[in-house]
Amino acid sequence: MTLLKMEDWYDLARQTNWTPGYVSDEELYPSPMSNDFGIPVETWETFDEPYKVSYRDYVRSQRDKDVAAYSVKAALARAQFFKKASPHWKALLALHFSAVCWAEFHSASAFARMTRFSRCPGMRNMATFGTLDEIRHGQIQIYFAYEFLKHDAVFDWCHKSSKTENWIIISLRHAFDDIAHTRDATSTAVMLNMGLEQSFTNLQFVALSADAAKCGDHSFATMLQSIQTDEARHAQIGEPLVRILCENGRKQEAQQMVEISFWRMWKQFSALSGIGMDYYTPLEHREFSLKEFMEEWVIGQFGRTIEALGLDLPWYWDILKHDISTFHHSQQLGIYVYRATQWWRPIAGASPAERAWLEEKYPGWNNTYGKCWDVITENIRNGDYEKTVPVPPPLICNMCGLEVSGIAGDDWQAVDHSIDLDERRYHFCSEPCKWIFELEPARYKGHRSIIDRAFDGTIGPDMDDFYTYMGQSPEERGVCGYDYQWIDGYDTPSAAAAE
Amino acid sequence: MAEFPIACNLQGDYGYKVIVIDDADTVADIIRKTTDQLIGVLVAPFPPDTVLKAKIHGAETPLADTATVKDAAIIQMAAIDIYAES
Repeated sequence: MTLLKMEDWYDLARQTNWTPGYVSDEELYPSPMSNDFGIPVETWETFDEPYKVSYRDYVRSQRDKDVAAYSVKAALARAQFFKKASPHWKALLALHFSAVCWAEFHSASAFARMTRFSRCPGMRNMATFGTLDEIRHGQIQIYFAYEFLKHDAVFDWCHKSSKTENWIIISLRHAFDDIAHTRDATSTAVMLNMGLEQSFTNLQFVALSADAAKCGDHSFATMLQSIQTDEARHAQIGEPLVRILCENGRKQEAQQMVEISFWRMWKQFSALSGIGMDYYTPLEHREFSLKEFMEEWVIGQFGRTIEALGLDLPWYWDILKHDISTFHHSQQLGIYVYRATQWWRPIAGASPAERAWLEEKYPGWNNTYGKCWDVITENIRNGDYEKTVPVPPPLICNMCGLEVSGIAGDDWQAVDHSIDLDERRYHFCSEPCKWIFELEPARYKGHRSIIDRAFDGTIGPDMDDFYTYMGQSPEERGVCGYDYQWIDGYDTPSAAAAE
Repeated sequence: MAEFPIACNLQGDYGYKVIVIDDADTVADIIRKTTDQLIGVLVAPFPPDTVLKAKIHGAETPLADTATVKDAAIIQMAAIDIYAES
């Protein structure tokens, strides 16, 4: 039997809107879930996705991707890559799998909401594939991570982390809940597809995949590539959606949604992918710094994309250009010195050779963040390990949940943005984090950071209470990934210590 | 007397730390409690004879060393910057 070509039937097959006979339009598409932004349904029906795929082709292509990824995994399982991998790479794998697996799996819920409640038939079609994609991404990553469980119990956190109150997880969950799980289908699509997938997934999947291949981790590289091809397809839901909003008097709303979600995701990627690229990737395999990658792929490419769609560059673009050289360096310091609060084994990434790389990529690093590392290094060289952990906890941003930080060392700059509301002071790490809060205080004001919880009595007074609250047994508290041996490149203990 | 937390950023450190103080403390006490916990941990010792001052974040002028928390109107979770007087 001769099959019709896809272009001959595709448009007809996805025109699935109809006039409801037994319920009202509002009952079928309730505003809190659908939100048509006052745009007529006939206009929504013009949604035209740039990448078209049939279910038959989708299944065939996904099958091929799975075959390729699982074949590589099966072949490499015998090579015992993990046993030979450096602590750098093990820490990066643990961080990636425990932060990303569940976030992908949860994204299936966001795409399912688009599938059910979008006013655009074409978007519902694409979102159906997106839902299946995200289920696959959760499954494949959890399955691949399980390979390592027999070597290292830290990979238990690939499944466990999302159910804990660990401070890193609270930060991630707050961001994803905000943009993907608590808004209507239209807003979710704009925020998730444009604010996250079009802007940042390249950072996590393309750059990390290239690094993985260079490190010889071909199983991880293949898996990441197979995920990114899905992301590149379903992220395109955002473009026609933003175009419809802009062309129908809703540019301001679309602009604000992109600005909120982009900044929220930038903070997460800065802290997690940023330290991954600039500190956790083994030095000999590093190519681009986070700053270089952001300048080319995000500030450049994503910036051009949103302007082409009719949006403006976000108002905080200059703040972003500064943030790509600063924020993640502070977060890396915090993650290392408060290492017991992480479930993986953090890497310092501050050996002499690594410091030279950081100074080359971020001129002035030695005189700023390097000054804090000087003190940490000296304490380790002197065997004074207790002094590498500060007693006072850090201040946490009431929007992104990460440390409120500025610039360290000789160019010291204290950065804090705050507001007072209902007899409570809220702190923010940046002007955009504060701006997001002020747009909708009722949405955000009830949330309490891990530090708020420590001081309001939610968490007991002892340190063990703190770890128990975060789901960490004594064996699940992070320790230096190199057992402090990263300082071997420095001179022998100082004269002061020898005296 | 009541204990409460404030946020202090000591010159040279990368970010704010939550320091628990007492409402009877003076500004000099706040400086001492902060430096005791951070110098030699994240911040190198300051040169001898360095005079450290504290100010509310964003303010132009430093707080008087002898002022109490109440005198200086320091509230819970106030952000305080501690820096070397030039």
